[in-house]
Amino acid sequence: MTIRNVRDHGQRFRPRMACLKKVESVMLEMQDPKTGVKSQPQRLVITTIPHAITGEDIVAWLTNCYSIEAEEAWALGTMLVAFGYIYPLQDHKRLVIKPDASLYRFQTPYFWPAQQWPVEDTDYAIYLAKRNIRKKGTLELYEQVQYNSLHKWMNHKWDFIVMQAKEQYRAGKERKKPDRVVFDCQERAYWVVHRPPPGTVSAMDYGLERMVDPNTEEKQTSDFFRRIMIFTQQSIMRPRVKSSVSIGALVKYSVTYNKHDPFLAPCLPSNPWVTDDVTYWLLNMANVEIPTKMRVERWTFSFGELLSDPRGRDDFRLFLKKEFSGENLAFWEACEDLKWGTAATMNDKAQQVYKTFLTRGAPRWINIDGKTMEVTVKGLKHPHRYVLDAAQTHIFMLMKKDSFGRYLKSPVFKDTQKRAICPDQHMFSVSQLEANARKRRPSISPIIVRQLEQEEKARMATSGPVDITQVMSKLSNKGKEVAPSKK
Amino acid sequence: MNRWRRSVDEIQARKRQVTECERALEALCKVTACFQQMAISIGSNSDGSFLREEMDETRALAHRICTGLHRRLVPLLTERVTEPGQEDRLQVERMWVLFLTGLENLQQDLHKASDLIDRFPLKQRNDRRALVNTGASDGVTGVSARAASVQTPWLAVEVAQNPDLKTHITQIDALVKEMLQKVSIPFWAVEATQEAWVEGAQSQDAAHDQDETLEEMMVVSEDDQMSGCCQPLNCKLGCMFCLST
Repeated sequence: MTIRNVRDHGQRFRPRMACLKKVESVMLEMQDPKTGVKSQPQRLVITTIPHAITGEDIVAWLTNCYSIEAEEAWALGTMLVAFGYIYPLQDHKRLVIKPDASLYRFQTPYFWPAQQWPVEDTDYAIYLAKRNIRKKGTLELYEQVQYNSLHKWMNHKWDFIVMQAKEQYRAGKERKKPDRVVFDCQERAYWVVHRPPPGTVSAMDYGLERMVDPNTEEKQTSDFFRRIMIFTQQSIMRPRVKSSVSIGALVKYSVTYNKHDPFLAPCLPSNPWVTDDVTYWLLNMANVEIPTKMRVERWTFSFGELLSDPRGRDDFRLFLKKEFSGENLAFWEACEDLKWGTAATMNDKAQQVYKTFLTRGAPRWINIDGKTMEVTVKGLKHPHRYVLDAAQTHIFMLMKKDSFGRYLKSPVFKDTQKRAICPDQHMFSVSQLEANARKRRPSISPIIVRQLEQEEKARMATSGPVDITQVMSKLSNKGKEVAPSKK
Repeated sequence: MNRWRRSVDEIQARKRQVTECERALEALCKVTACFQQMAISIGSNSDGSFLREEMDETRALAHRICTGLHRRLVPLLTERVTEPGQEDRLQVERMWVLFLTGLENLQQDLHKASDLIDRFPLKQRNDRRALVNTGASDGVTGVSARAASVQTPWLAVEVAQNPDLKTHITQIDALVKEMLQKVSIPFWAVEATQEAWVEGAQSQDAAHDQDETLEEMMVVSEDDQMSGCCQPLNCKLGCMFCLST
């Protein structure tokens, strides 16, 4: 009934997590009675439980064993805790190593994370039911939410879950008191790792699932060798670039984007994924009036960056409007619309583009060279999604070489740059972080966002780009008949 | 007259079989719970040959219950459904779904146990150095006694060969696959007989009150400054203030 036993062809194999094997060998070294970590008994109210280890001992052992700095040992220790191989005895929801006298204990191998066994929801349901029995209904808020959701989705198994929870509870009572405490701690730590409470950072992200089981050895049939041959042939035929060139490009990219990478430099005001505070996203929305300094700086990196940011594109459009050369951008946007639009509207869109931009005497005629124009017009006889690609690339390069430079020196851009804001970094205390986690709300629905976008587009269309014929008639003051402006 | 009496006999026999299966399901739950308690100790410092032997015996018992239950449930499901047995049918389908869930649970535990036993073989003396110090002492005597107290509810003693771990796993895998394909039951039509949260509200025996202190014991730890006993149920923030001092 679970997916594991049904022969489907979906992607359900977890990728090999090589780090787990390495962590396990570290764990085993730590057990050694002579060269491992020193353990001490933990004194509780009525009993003593052996094999507790302090955070500072762990960090010191790692520093000695691997000849690394204390900071790196601390990071390594935190990783051991985050994966669930060691669990903290106090403050069990924060999976970090505190390099002081706080106590930790080793997790039993049954509860170690394994690559081939994903953690089942059935087991979590049994655990929650067991906890419910023990605590007579006072579970934490996130546990209650999970319980209700599992009760709904696993309703057909629920009787078994409750039965098994009761039996496990009774079986657990057969053990001696200190062992029961240890087991409860172990189980609780296991579920903190694999079903983290809000505010706990989880280390269990493993990326996409795979089609083939990475643990099975592939049989070396003739098919296998044929694939290897094709792969090698293609590798030989690939075009090459000197490593100095490619590395230079990589270095240039890294240097340029260094301060903009949220892993390497702090997000201002704060990274919403870490602090649960969404100011960063609100300040960087598509239709915001005043952009942030970092965003404006990003526009100067390349023309592609400017165009792909909707706020940047708006700014650029404003600049082009002042220069009366908005038709290039309008054409580029129409091409994008064609590429990404629905198949049903493609024909109409293509015809519209032709009438507006390409034909002789069109209201917003763009200036592309003869050969491209010929190719495009021929393609438009049987329009498809990418028929305007050549023209679009040409216009893109035109804008990049010509308008972009002028834009960066223009008063429009300089004004935007001056007004751009630079928010201060948030400094949240731990209780504020918890409050943030509780106040999380979903963002506005994408349906509403799409409606707003379409209204915006309609409004822009009515406010009317200036037709070239209108401009010409105004300038030359001839009695030409004015083509109706686009509605 | 004879026909009437015969169908009454049939109904009674069927009822008896259904009750047998229910009890077998409960026994299976018990045995798998005990097996899991034992499997948790594999690889820890309380691991040993005693533990492994007890696990084998528990596993054999589980195997007997599973095969017996399977053998009895299949005819109950594939019998031609006569009028009086209709609500019976729902119950039997429910048992089928629960049995399948139980088998999958056991299957997962067996896979894990097999993996762990391979990783922590105890054949040589210094293999014991590799065992993880988890703080548990040997505590499986009570659990194994509990497991041994489970009896198969059918009266006839069946001759069964106790398979070793790997064979057991392949047998269970095959059994589950076969069950999924043999009888077509809409799994999600089965509804739970219990409401949510009921099991927490049921009154338990007096030993329950001792469990409250387990939670407190874990919080009121050896730290000397924490003299006041802070109730973890009241304020989580309070706990954090305590711990940060």
